[in-house]
Amino acid sequence: MSSAVYDKVKELLIDKFGVSEDEVSPEATFSDLDLDSLDLVEFALAAEEEMGVRISDEEAEQLDTLDDTVKLLEKKGATVEGAG
Amino acid sequence: MLLDDKRLVITGVLNDSSIAYSVARLAQQQGAQIVLTGFGRGMRITERIAQRLPEPVDVLELDVTDDSHLERVAGSVGDRWGGLDGVVHAIGFAPDSAIGGGFLQTPWADVATALHVSTYSLAALGRTFAPLLAAGGGGSIVGLDFDAAVAWPAYDWMGVAKAGLESCCRYLARDLGAQGTRVNLVAAGPLRTIAARSIAGFDSYQHVWEKRAPLGWDTGDPEPVARVVCALLSDWTPAITGEVVHADGGVHAMGADVR
Repeated sequence: MSSAVYDKVKELLIDKFGVSEDEVSPEATFSDLDLDSLDLVEFALAAEEEMGVRISDEEAEQLDTLDDTVKLLEKKGATVEGAG
Repeated sequence: MLLDDKRLVITGVLNDSSIAYSVARLAQQQGAQIVLTGFGRGMRITERIAQRLPEPVDVLELDVTDDSHLERVAGSVGDRWGGLDGVVHAIGFAPDSAIGGGFLQTPWADVATALHVSTYSLAALGRTFAPLLAAGGGGSIVGLDFDAAVAWPAYDWMGVAKAGLESCCRYLARDLGAQGTRVNLVAAGPLRTIAARSIAGFDSYQHVWEKRAPLGWDTGDPEPVARVVCALLSDWTPAITGEVVHADGGVHAMGADVR
C-alpha cells in the first residue's frame, strides 16, 4: 500500500509516537504498535492538524489497522501538503 | 462580560470533548485569563488542545498527588499574576479494579488511589491556592461531580470518591469561607468525554437520562455544564458555597421516568 496519506500516517507514527519504521505496515494495528487509547486520542489530534480532517473520539476509539485508518482519513478527504 | 479580568487555573482539559475544555473556551470568551494544567502522558494532548482555544494558553504540569508539583504550579501562578480568582477541579481517576464491576473485590490500595486522586485532590488544590485566592479577594473553586446520593451501575469506588468529594467541598467551604473563598461542585449528567468512555456502565446512565430528564439531555454537549461552572466562577453567585449544583436536565429531582 502506498499513498500520500499512508506515508503521512507512517511519518506521524515514527516521529511523534516513537514507532520504529520496520513495525509499520498496512496490516499493523495500533495495539501491535503499542499505542493505547490515550495515544489514539493524540493521534487523532495530530492527524487533524496535519491532514485537515476531524476524527471523532468514537472513531479514534475504533481505529484498528493502519489500512483502515488511512481509508477513514481518505474518505474524510484528508489532504497532505506537497502531495499530488 | 461575566468573567472580565478573572484569572483562572483550569485542570482536567484532555481533548476538546473534555468538560473543562468547554469551561476554558467559555471563560476566555467571557473575558477571563486562564492557564491549564496537564498530567502525565495526557500533557502532550493538553498542550496540543491548548493551542485551539480562542486564545492559546500555557499548560503547567500538575500531578495532584505530588506536593512538589502543587508548590511549583502555585509558584508559577503567583509569579504570573500575583493572585488568583478561580480554580476548576476536573480531576478523577480510579484503577480498573475500582470501577466497572467487582466492587467487593477491589483492594484497598486501588481504592486509596481513587480517593487520593479524585477526592483528596480538591482539598490539596484548595490548600495550595488558598493564599493566591485570598490575595485576589477570595475567589471561587469549582469541581465536577456526578451525583453521589445514590449508587450507579459500574461506577463503584468512583461513586464513593464522588460522595467524598461532595463532603470535601463542604469542609473546604467551611475552612476557606473566612477568607471569602467559595467552594462548589457541579453535578453533571453523563457526557461522552474521554474519561466517561472508560466507564463500562456508561450506556446505562444514558438510558436513565433519556427517560428521566424533564429538560432532556445531550451526552455530546458539555456546554450546559460549563456554563454553570462559569457562573459559579463569576461574581454573580456571591452567597453560594458548600453547594452541589445539579446541571443534569433535572434528573436528580425526579422520582420516576417522565417519558
